[in-house]
Amino acid sequence: MNVSINWIREFVDLPQETGSELGAKFTLSTCEVEEVKTVNEYLQNVVVAEIVEIENHPNSDKLHLVTINKGKDTQRVVCGAPNVRIGMKVPFAPTGTVLPGGFTLTPKEIRGVVSEGMLCSAAELEIGSDDSGLHEFPADAPVGESLERYLNRPVDIIFDIDNKSITHRPDLWAQYGMAREFAAVFKSSLRNPYDENWQKALEAKLGKGTSPIAVEVDEDSACKIYCGLYVKNVTVGESPDWMKTRLNACGVRSINSLVDISNYVMLELGIPNHIFDASQIAGARIHVRRAGTEQTFVTLDETERAILPQDTMICDAEKPVAIAGIMGGLNSGVTESTTDVFIEVANFTDSEVRKTSTRLGLRSDSSIRYEKSLDSHLVRRSSLRILDLILQLCPQAEPVGTQVIAGKDNQPYRAPEIEISCDKIRSVLGTDFPADEEIIDILTRLDFGVRNQNGSLTVSVPSWRATKDVECDADIIEEVGRIVGFDNIAARAPLIRIEAVRLSLPKQLHRKIQDFLVLRGRSLEVMTYPMIGEKLLQKAHWPDLNERLILKNAVSKDNDRMRPSLIPTALQTAALNAKNFPSFRFFELGRAYFPDENTFSIEKNQVVIGFFNRKEDSFLPLLNTVEQMLDYLGYPAVIGDNGGRAAVLPKDWDGVHPYESVDLRILGKPCGAVFSVHPSLMNEWKMRGKLTLALIDLSEFENIKPKEKVKYKPLPKYPGSIFDCTVTVPRETAAAEVLRALKGVKYKELESVRIVDIFYPEDPAVKLMTVRAAFSAPDKTLDGAFLEEAQNKVVSELAKAGFPLKI
Amino acid sequence: MSKKTEQIKADFLKAIETVRTQPDLAKLKADFIGKKGVLSEILKEMKGQPPEIIREIGQVVNQLKTEIEKTVDDKMKKIEAAVINEKLKRERIDVSLRESLFDRGLTDAGYHPVTLIQREVEDVFTSMGFEILDGPHIEDDYHNFVALNIPKHHPARDMQDTFWFSDLKHLLRTHTSPIQVRGMESRKPPFKFVGPGKVFRNEATDASHEMVFHQIEGMMVDENITVSHLIYFMKTLLSEIFGRSVEVRLRPGFFPFVEPGFELDIKCLICGGKGCSVCKHQGWLELLPCGMVHPNVLTYSGIDIKRYNGFAFGLGLDRLVMMRYGIDDIRHFHGGDLRFIRQFKSC
Repeated sequence: MNVSINWIREFVDLPQETGSELGAKFTLSTCEVEEVKTVNEYLQNVVVAEIVEIENHPNSDKLHLVTINKGKDTQRVVCGAPNVRIGMKVPFAPTGTVLPGGFTLTPKEIRGVVSEGMLCSAAELEIGSDDSGLHEFPADAPVGESLERYLNRPVDIIFDIDNKSITHRPDLWAQYGMAREFAAVFKSSLRNPYDENWQKALEAKLGKGTSPIAVEVDEDSACKIYCGLYVKNVTVGESPDWMKTRLNACGVRSINSLVDISNYVMLELGIPNHIFDASQIAGARIHVRRAGTEQTFVTLDETERAILPQDTMICDAEKPVAIAGIMGGLNSGVTESTTDVFIEVANFTDSEVRKTSTRLGLRSDSSIRYEKSLDSHLVRRSSLRILDLILQLCPQAEPVGTQVIAGKDNQPYRAPEIEISCDKIRSVLGTDFPADEEIIDILTRLDFGVRNQNGSLTVSVPSWRATKDVECDADIIEEVGRIVGFDNIAARAPLIRIEAVRLSLPKQLHRKIQDFLVLRGRSLEVMTYPMIGEKLLQKAHWPDLNERLILKNAVSKDNDRMRPSLIPTALQTAALNAKNFPSFRFFELGRAYFPDENTFSIEKNQVVIGFFNRKEDSFLPLLNTVEQMLDYLGYPAVIGDNGGRAAVLPKDWDGVHPYESVDLRILGKPCGAVFSVHPSLMNEWKMRGKLTLALIDLSEFENIKPKEKVKYKPLPKYPGSIFDCTVTVPRETAAAEVLRALKGVKYKELESVRIVDIFYPEDPAVKLMTVRAAFSAPDKTLDGAFLEEAQNKVVSELAKAGFPLKI
Repeated sequence: MSKKTEQIKADFLKAIETVRTQPDLAKLKADFIGKKGVLSEILKEMKGQPPEIIREIGQVVNQLKTEIEKTVDDKMKKIEAAVINEKLKRERIDVSLRESLFDRGLTDAGYHPVTLIQREVEDVFTSMGFEILDGPHIEDDYHNFVALNIPKHHPARDMQDTFWFSDLKHLLRTHTSPIQVRGMESRKPPFKFVGPGKVFRNEATDASHEMVFHQIEGMMVDENITVSHLIYFMKTLLSEIFGRSVEVRLRPGFFPFVEPGFELDIKCLICGGKGCSVCKHQGWLELLPCGMVHPNVLTYSGIDIKRYNGFAFGLGLDRLVMMRYGIDDIRHFHGGDLRFIRQFKSC
């Protein structure tokens, strides 16, 4: 919203500071001034000049040397305008003038003749749109007068206020409301031209008897109060310069005098209003009611709007004439030929206006104000102010009857009172200031009523602050704090009890995973969107389209639902980077989202790890990394064929490599898988090489504290023995199966069985595996008899499983 | 006799000259001073000679033996050194051949930049006794809005373009504040915690706008909490994050869940407050919305407002990350492009 400092100065005296100084202070106390603009400054320099002599330019056919009379003196300038003639009165901008657009005039040599300043077109000065030649003033224009004065366009400072910062302040959506803030911030007194005396004087001008148009407000409608006023004999014309200037400063275009008055009063006092052509109101009756049926309605902007039964409409005896609080109808607005008007100043329920305007996609100046919750007690004053201006602009106009007022808010205001002590204010701010008197002064300047009993205040809230904004003592503390300046409050550490804090178990786990995968797994952490599209799921062959977690208002089809797994985005990440790198490792710690009957949705933390390599194997490197990670995390984990894939991948997903995949079971729960992506899917993604993914659902165990796994044992006092044997194994048999065959060797002295070496002989059907068994006892050196028995057992178990000793 | 020993000595010195290996040297040693060596022979030949002569000769022979032993030891050390040197030379590696010189694909490893900054902020707060909480991304209307003093049809809902699910009751959280609500619901005062995480806004994306970004939310509830305490924690946070004290200003700001509410701005770190494109020529950057928790919000979560009050704040993490590293496009954060991520590598 724009604030015109000239307009503000009408109500309050401000210090002679620059616009940005004023703006900075206002920002610190009231609301955010996003931009400070000075307008019309250049019009102070530009003067009315009369052309007294025209000579040809010595070096040009088109240019002239024009001598002008500036009042005090004359001057010769170069001019190329086609319409130049003696006696013409034109705008002259001397050197040093900063024209709109930021161009500063400097002395300029034009084909050998120096010109100091220039004669201007209307477009160059932004006083009109004509750029075909010099702007011509009427013959009676005073030579030497500045355009600022002649055109009545005073220099003004405009604040552009961030609308968000006044969401809670309906009173600040008006110049007068802003003026009240300036008075408090700059400790100046506020002039209220629209006080009781003014109201009485205007009320005396109202007609006698009832209004020619009756008003009825349905109790169940969104209307809280409706004030109507009938005025006859108006003429619709052009608005005076001062009014246009102010509308313009606030970014509102001048239309005609009646529309301008309506807008002017809304900008000045903050209450939207509407002026009907009274002749278009059928049956001499206004009825504010719910629309009742679905219908279409054409608004003033000549757009057809779909109205729902519950929308509140302003209707006459036959038809709707306006959408309550949002916009009037094309059927009843004022035109050039309007003579009689009916002025509506009303108030509507904030949420209803908001609901309808959001649905219609029609945010008018009016609806933006209503949805902030306006003050019903201001409608009378606004109605009178409109009359005031109509009488100023067309003195022959005449009100007919009195104001007609209806609605549930039509009753005297009873100000809510808030009890708060000055000590409480200071203690919440954490300061020893402001003093009691200053607190009272601040609140009084903001038009709060204050009764003081030894520092205990009873604060009564003015009607325009009581619609939602100020409700409790915290609100009063804010009023004082912001005017004092929160910025003036010093930082102070609280005195509090020390308590030990630790990261939560999931947080500890997540950090450990990240640490391990970066430092040991040598991977890069990525993040991808939690919202994905059907296209990606289909490209990943993912059977679950997660259709119960679709957004109603997604930004695009590509991000219209929650991801059911981290795998599809991992494929996307891999495909993107496979173009740039022959090998890479990445991981993402993120959430997968699932619908749930009872809780609507369930979110599971997952980690996905991807190893890609164009040439080399990526499966075993990733599997090793995962095994080491699970060991580091401290949860008992089993790698094998145990249902982990089924837990984290859809049963009918065809993206898993036929041979390169294993399940993970952690803390006894199947919750993960390591697998290479099926080459067919890789082809579809145009990835050349091998991509192996690991997916672990952390939600199964992240809230369980891992048991301490370190168990100290005294160092062995007696040497152990190792026994190596080489067995013949079918080539396709998994190495782990050979070790598993030794499960049957059950000696407490058996420490471990490991593979020492694998040799692939020429015979393609077999491989030779050397297996090592380590034995030891804490209390003795193992004797030969025992060792022999144990070694025989190892050999026989292997042979029993089909792995005979190599001869 | 001494002539004989002289001769032996000369023979030895001559012989040792040509010895090159440890076995040859051992053999030479044995030949001269071993049990069957020439010196032993001399002593054997002495049998039957008078004791004075035996003593005299014995002295000469022993002296020679010691001399030979020393010479052999010295030579042995030389040969050993030569052998080791030879081995070292043979096994010499190219010490310049570090892994980093090879092109072995992308071998960088590291955290996402948002993780880096988020951890830093989390650690600052845990060091000051704040817990770290988490919460769901898919929230209900109550926790995202109502419990934060934003009833239905409140205009403040406009400030946050919300992603709604089809039932129009559930949504993607528009801020981390629901973590606050859940934190209050599950705790008894006094408490203090922060809640970092992803938030979602229905916005068209460009270099400075994202539909998914990160915030960290925090609150402290106790007896007699003041605005000056809030300022203390915020200033501490900022000086920890930026590594120096930063100039801040506090101005009124409207957030329905705090009262009084502020915007905490920091003096632009790029231009030092003179005005530049980063701070939109304001000299200040909006960084931390904060304030005293609105009594309604405390009441909603069952906290006795006669006894307790508190402060709350929110911080946009992505903004902080972008300022720290000079990142010009927020869309990189969820883009998955490792050419971006590798720039923040840890190792």
